[in-house]
Amino acid sequence: MKKIFIALAGLCCFYFVHAQKKYYTKTGTVSFEAGTSVEDVNAINKSVTSIFDASSGQYEFALLINGFEFRRALMQQHFNEDYMESDKYPKAFFKGVIVNISSINFSKDGSYPGTVKGTLTIHNVSKEIEVPGTFIIHGGNISAKAQFNVALADYNISVPGLVKDKISKIVKVFVDCSYTML
Amino acid sequence: MKKPFKKIFFLALVLVAAAIGYGFYLFYKKPPDIRQESASYTFTADSIATVYNQNENEANKKFLNQVVAIKGIISKIIIDSSKSQATIILSTNDPLTGITCSFYDSEAGSLKHLKQGDEVVVKGVCTGKLMDIVLNRCSIQH
Repeated sequence: MKKIFIALAGLCCFYFVHAQKKYYTKTGTVSFEAGTSVEDVNAINKSVTSIFDASSGQYEFALLINGFEFRRALMQQHFNEDYMESDKYPKAFFKGVIVNISSINFSKDGSYPGTVKGTLTIHNVSKEIEVPGTFIIHGGNISAKAQFNVALADYNISVPGLVKDKISKIVKVFVDCSYTML
Repeated sequence: MKKPFKKIFFLALVLVAAAIGYGFYLFYKKPPDIRQESASYTFTADSIATVYNQNENEANKKFLNQVVAIKGIISKIIIDSSKSQATIILSTNDPLTGITCSFYDSEAGSLKHLKQGDEVVVKGVCTGKLMDIVLNRCSIQH
């Protein structure tokens, strides 16, 4: 009985969500550049899940650390096993709000600056961040792009001395998501 | 006395060269092409969803980074040519859990003749679970 109730409550939530003008994607991309002049270290994750509420501005991202694809097998292995410890901390999250949600008109084509503020959790460390980005509305399609920097030290990600000159202490992160209505 | 020394020196040189060569090989090695590998596990979409929903950690221990083949019904095909990105979402018996299959960029062409509702077998690397179970580096298995 309890289970049925929970299931029903879940369904209600689902419909409630539906009515609230939420947008989501399961195929967002997050890529990063962590290279230096000595070495290119780039990776891309193409199955980022993100959802936002166009009325309240609530905004969430989640991705799997294991989902980053590198050019070289060894880079991917070191990234997962040594730096990110992805077996212990398999996911990264962002949870926050679009601060200036009221100035974005989701029903009118255009490019709108958007500032997103909230908590970014990587490697089991949570930090408050504020990121400027752009919402692009074109023919009913909504996409969002942003670029920001992440300092490895902020998230307790340590890089051994041997490769210190090959990996930047500040990593450039690029976000690119195309949303569909839930 | 001189001759064996020379031999040892030569042998050491060969070993060092081999070690350096192997180091370079490891360093520059590309990630394996999953299309060429055979699947370690074969599932239906429903069965892998059940396994993950019962115990995500245990499922990850077994299947993370393994090549899996999953048979399921296509609920959505997403092809974003601007980012050369091709994804299929398979449905499962749990409406809140799908299987997001991110394909090799060059495999986008093989999805063109597919449509929603088709049954396919997708091969890829199990990457874990967010809302959906995620497979990376996918291709259609014939």
